[in-house]
Amino acid sequence: MEALRIGVVVCGLGAAVALAVQAVRARAYGRRPLYAPASGSAARGVLYAFGPGMSPTAKESTRTHPWAYALGVAYHLGVFAALGCLLLLLVGAERACDPATIPGRALGVLLFAGALGGLGLFVRRYATAHLRGLSVPDDALANLLTTGFVALAAARQRTPAAEPALLAAAMLLLCYVPLGKIRHCVFFFVSRRHLGRHFGRRGTFPLRH
Amino acid sequence: MSETDALEARLAALTDEDLSRGLDLFRAKLGGAEAAYLQTCVRCGLCADACHYHRTDHELASIPAHKLAQVAAVFRAHFTAAGRLAPGLTGARRFDRDMARAWVEALFGRCSLCGRCSLNCTTGIHIAAVLKAARGTLTEMGLIPADLLQVVTTSLETGNNMGISRDDWIETVQWIEEEMQQDVGDPAARIPVDKQGARVLFTVNPREPKFFPLCLQASATVLNAAGEDWTVAGEGWDLTNYGLFSASPAHGGAIAANLMASMDRLGCGTLVIGECGHGFAAARWEAAEWLQKRPGFRIVSFLELMEEYFQQGRLRVDPAKITERATLHDPCNTVRHGGIVEPQRAILRRCLADFVEMTPNRAENFCCGGGGGQLSMSRYRQKRLQSGGVKAEQIRRTGARLVVAPCHNCIDQLMELNREYKLGVVIKTVAEVVADALVRTPAQTLEEHHGTVAR
Repeated sequence: MEALRIGVVVCGLGAAVALAVQAVRARAYGRRPLYAPASGSAARGVLYAFGPGMSPTAKESTRTHPWAYALGVAYHLGVFAALGCLLLLLVGAERACDPATIPGRALGVLLFAGALGGLGLFVRRYATAHLRGLSVPDDALANLLTTGFVALAAARQRTPAAEPALLAAAMLLLCYVPLGKIRHCVFFFVSRRHLGRHFGRRGTFPLRH
Repeated sequence: MSETDALEARLAALTDEDLSRGLDLFRAKLGGAEAAYLQTCVRCGLCADACHYHRTDHELASIPAHKLAQVAAVFRAHFTAAGRLAPGLTGARRFDRDMARAWVEALFGRCSLCGRCSLNCTTGIHIAAVLKAARGTLTEMGLIPADLLQVVTTSLETGNNMGISRDDWIETVQWIEEEMQQDVGDPAARIPVDKQGARVLFTVNPREPKFFPLCLQASATVLNAAGEDWTVAGEGWDLTNYGLFSASPAHGGAIAANLMASMDRLGCGTLVIGECGHGFAAARWEAAEWLQKRPGFRIVSFLELMEEYFQQGRLRVDPAKITERATLHDPCNTVRHGGIVEPQRAILRRCLADFVEMTPNRAENFCCGGGGGQLSMSRYRQKRLQSGGVKAEQIRRTGARLVVAPCHNCIDQLMELNREYKLGVVIKTVAEVVADALVRTPAQTLEEHHGTVAR
């Protein structure tokens, strides 16, 4: 078990380094100086992009697809919860996840909802014609690895017997993170910041409805 | 050889060296932001309905994420380790002749660079910025529809995008000035040309002197009614800049330099961009970046200036003069890309008895389909008209008989949509509405105006 735990730590560090390298490489494409005077505030734009701009009502795309939005939110909360469980496991504090406690029960709900969310998004992707058309193998693999990881975190909460499988799934997931779409765990923040700055400077953000 | 055939011939003739050069060009157009955007898409597909092309043709190729994927595939294949190691897994594809053809169709044929998808992306990708970088690459590879390039070339060669000679321009201005004097009953109303040191240089879309003189007359009427110290330029008066659509900084910068030179020559304090969406975005936001120089003067939209006049009490209007129901079209380059959202609304609420908004509106507006240079690309005409169906339906739902559109490309498209979808509407600029609603005081000389208006 100890070897598996060390393996997870190594894979986690590897993923972090690889993601950092990718972010630095993207940044190295350069930032052009901006000459046009701003009419709005880049900072307000960034705040909007990470705040109200992420609410389900801020965008038509999420307003009109509440189920997809809800599945996505559940999925991501589940992933964060699973990562939290993994961290507690690695530092030997797994008792904090005990489903007999209120926080442990809340964690269990998040993990269950997250696994359902991931499964729901998987079904949605392959049951919807235009999403099937957009998809590449990375979409299936990334979803399966992540959903499996969340589901195994939920299982580990119930039985320690699931721990080796959870640790193995975590290693696979962490190894895959820099290769496919899961790297949006870093680039999401980079992109949203750029978007917020751009539309903030121009006075488009915050959006007025 | 037809335009379509000519572009096909250029695609077929691409050599490996051409493609390699294309990649270098593409690489040079990417900044840190674009490089991040290209690695962020999770293909959730929620951008699909944001696009007026996809809303009307329901084709996979029209989904913004699909258009982005065409560009991201090349980025991955050539510029990322994962794309080189596992192209099948990540959807990476090398930049070959087929891919170049796919880019042309996606970036010129199915996108007006309206940016609506950018605002609707769940992960925050400015999709339009990426597609523009790729469009610029195609332009510099010579893979731009010839009729779009022709508009740029005409601007570069003649100083305006319709090739209007200086004599014709001056003659038209004089004729419009006479018409305006008769219309307002004020022989002192002027359209000054090349007035040194005027406070405001007013710039014009060549479609106004060529096809819509009443628009220019309306703008001049408003400027005179406000007692503005203004001028048009004898040279360098065209506000349009199709460099925004060819996405070539070289084109954009060379055309923008005309306006900057006029400002320097005439010593005006404020450059006013008449009602033209892309012209405003080009002059206000892009020109400084293309020329890598901060302008030494203020650049404003005529919408902002008119609203300032109202706030300063320099214009008086009677909304009872226009009683028909009216709605406002939000040009993407004025509103979403330009940040000019409320002035036009404030103006219209003053001038109109029955003003209703489209749904959605403001930065969430739908493109009319005429943006991104689509009006000049004949090969995509049917697609353009089809994509405009979203806007036609928006207009129809308002029940308006008057559509106000502060953009000439939009007006051209809306006029075609009016015929195609039998909307039965009249289309006007904001200045035309203001001029129609003006309450004219007894004739005053400009000097009297200037003496009484505090600035």
